[in-house]
Amino acid sequence: MEKTIIVCLMLFLPAFAMVISLTVQKRNNEARGHGHGIGHRHGSWMAIDYFAFSSKLRRWNATFKLAFTLVIIFLCIGLNNAFVSAVIIVSMFYMVVAVGGLSTRDYISVLSIPIAFILISVIAIIVDFSKLPVGDFRIFIGFGYLYSSISMLFNGLRLMLKIIAAVSALQFMILTTPPSEVILVIRKMHVPNKFADLMNMIYRYIFILLDAFSKMKDAAEARLGYRDFKTFCRTFGGTAGNVLVLSLKKAEAYYDAMESRCYDGELLFLEEEKKISLRTIISATLFIFYLLLIWFFTK
Amino acid sequence: MKNSILKVENLQYIYGNGKMALDDVSVEIYEGERIAVLGANGSGKSTFFLNLNGVYTPSHGRITYRGKTLEKKNLTELRKNIGIVFQDADNQIIASSVMAEVSFGPMNLRLTKEEVLKRVNEALIYMSLKGFEERPPHYLSGGEKKRVSIADIIAMKSEVMIFDEPTASLDPANALMLEEVMQKLGNENKTLIISTHDVDFTYRWAQRVIVFCNGKIIADGTPLDIFKNKEVLKQSNLKQPAMLQVYEMLVEKGLLKDTKEYPKSTEEFNELLDIMKNN
Amino acid sequence: MSKKQKAILTISAIIALAFGIVPGAGAMHIMEGYLPPTYCIAWGAICLPFLAMGWFSIKKTLDKNKKSITMLAIAGAYVFVLSSLKIPSVTGSCSHMTGTGLGAILFGASSVSILGLIVLIFQAILLAHGGLTTLGANTFSMAVAGPFVAICIYKLCQKLKVSKAVSVFLAAAIGDLFTYCVTSMQLALAYPSAEGGVMASAIKFLAVFAPTQLPLAIVEGILTVLIIMGLETYAKSELTEIGFIKVV
Repeated sequence: MEKTIIVCLMLFLPAFAMVISLTVQKRNNEARGHGHGIGHRHGSWMAIDYFAFSSKLRRWNATFKLAFTLVIIFLCIGLNNAFVSAVIIVSMFYMVVAVGGLSTRDYISVLSIPIAFILISVIAIIVDFSKLPVGDFRIFIGFGYLYSSISMLFNGLRLMLKIIAAVSALQFMILTTPPSEVILVIRKMHVPNKFADLMNMIYRYIFILLDAFSKMKDAAEARLGYRDFKTFCRTFGGTAGNVLVLSLKKAEAYYDAMESRCYDGELLFLEEEKKISLRTIISATLFIFYLLLIWFFTK
Repeated sequence: MKNSILKVENLQYIYGNGKMALDDVSVEIYEGERIAVLGANGSGKSTFFLNLNGVYTPSHGRITYRGKTLEKKNLTELRKNIGIVFQDADNQIIASSVMAEVSFGPMNLRLTKEEVLKRVNEALIYMSLKGFEERPPHYLSGGEKKRVSIADIIAMKSEVMIFDEPTASLDPANALMLEEVMQKLGNENKTLIISTHDVDFTYRWAQRVIVFCNGKIIADGTPLDIFKNKEVLKQSNLKQPAMLQVYEMLVEKGLLKDTKEYPKSTEEFNELLDIMKNN
Repeated sequence: MSKKQKAILTISAIIALAFGIVPGAGAMHIMEGYLPPTYCIAWGAICLPFLAMGWFSIKKTLDKNKKSITMLAIAGAYVFVLSSLKIPSVTGSCSHMTGTGLGAILFGASSVSILGLIVLIFQAILLAHGGLTTLGANTFSMAVAGPFVAICIYKLCQKLKVSKAVSVFLAAAIGDLFTYCVTSMQLALAYPSAEGGVMASAIKFLAVFAPTQLPLAIVEGILTVLIIMGLETYAKSELTEIGFIKVV
């Protein structure tokens, strides 16, 4: 009986995940065409960046959010407890969707991004190879057995839950914090100044390059540049090469513009960190204690 | 006589590939002038601006700002006082929020935090960008980006403001907004230098026109002088402004007495018609 | 259900998954939460000397020419954008390039380690690929090992007078394959097989990821060749003028 349930679960979960990821992929493709009101142009569309910018939790202090996320992830992988993982999954969903105001569909769409990796890698953990007929399920493949066992399946499930929980915790940060604030936190962590400068510029240029790519792609598409795989490769190669040349040529113009505003090798911006309330800190601490408590009673 | 603010003498600039971009350019700019710089693409306007601002080092010639000759050590002083709004706002915007972007200049001037905050606020209000502080540049429209790039320079409180083809790729509504900003800045006695291809705008807005052709200044004078000079217009591929053409046609056909009071905008033309009717 | 039936069911499910999930599979980022804490820290530590090396190389470039900072930034942004674009894979669905081979060939292996680290951070926070605690492991496989092998293969091919297209293809494809092997190894170290230990586990990981990673390596190789050829045809003079791209 127990075995059947587990087998069913193992089969049901991936199937469920696949259905979600496929519908979500379809939806993402649709969303790319429409966009979300606010004055972004076609092509410079990066869903997570936009979700972070529109989240109500953006008001929260970024250092706090990053630290909280890291603590939760380390608790999650350190305690390695299914109940803790489940609580994390539910509470992160609650924070981002109910408090942050993101739609459930969008939340699940982002959560489903790593699903392929999770499923594939879990397979390698729940199936093993042996010369002898061991384990609870096995199949003979000519020179030995591929086998699995209830405990291996349980391990796989727990691992899956753990990864989804850790990804949820990461989502809490990335879906509520604009990257510019993350960079500011990294800058405060005493990395070399130039490193943070580079990050800042790269973040800015990503959108300029995306825009250039999308414009060229549209122009090529209008000329049937993507009709089959072979043309695709040729068009893609040409587009990609061209964008690189154009952008590298522009690099000098970017530098001139910075220099004309007295840039002197140090990227200085006035960026204010958001205030952090005592209540948030206390709630976060209580939540961490709650997780530890769950672990203590279920270990 | 007005005070001279910038004096350029025998400026010569050669590109890395040996091409001469500016050839013996001399010009003097006075406080509070509204100057339009005309000329075909590649005639040296942008290069000239980057020389004025000290980003490019001239291979020959001298630039004097308020009597001080430009050298390596006072570059910051020059850049502080001469601000450039670049043609493509995407080339200029470097930060990932409007607030950070506008603060970039003032922060580089090493001002106190309070002063930076004050200037950023003023500039944002000036360009009606309040409420956009935390917006990343990739969620701004073309017109909004332009406004941010102007606020960048306003926050630096530069004495001379240079606009490199500001109306390029702007829709009519944003072009109108831009013209209003120009008027407003002009009324505040800022020295404004604008490069443009729009002769009608030049005709109604500028006090002085400088025409570039192949890296040389081929004409420098009042808009009327320049636009009546057929030779210069032909050499630099420029058209006469519509208002000037209409006025000259009316005079030619004997419908209007040549009072030498040229109407520059449709409003002024309307007044002229009213006077004609009443006579 | 008899035992045999169950076994058949399990196996068929596994096969279906291995091939059915191929849609949407990107490069092989280890996801957040997959590695135990000790491994997260250990891989981070292993990356440090390589990152330090990369940093000194970048600093040297910047000291020589301050202006190269915008170029470096564009190079980084370019690798990120390339890796975020969808490309059709052989199964008819979409996949992503890694761009590390191209980056290594164009910008040199040492600066790619730093740019790769930044790209990986952005992939985690903008695309939800990879994660924060697995950053060390991912940096090692994608920003250190892959590019390093790619550049070695490329140099070797040039020494052996292999044609440019072939050497670029081999460099990019083998760089990708090496990343895939290193990642499988990293996963195996964290989750050794009960019976066969780390090696058996590594073989399992290599096997399950093969359907996604082998075609990807080939596509990556082809596209990298096309990009470099595209660069050569219309931009050779400009690129040498910029003096940034050394090899092309």
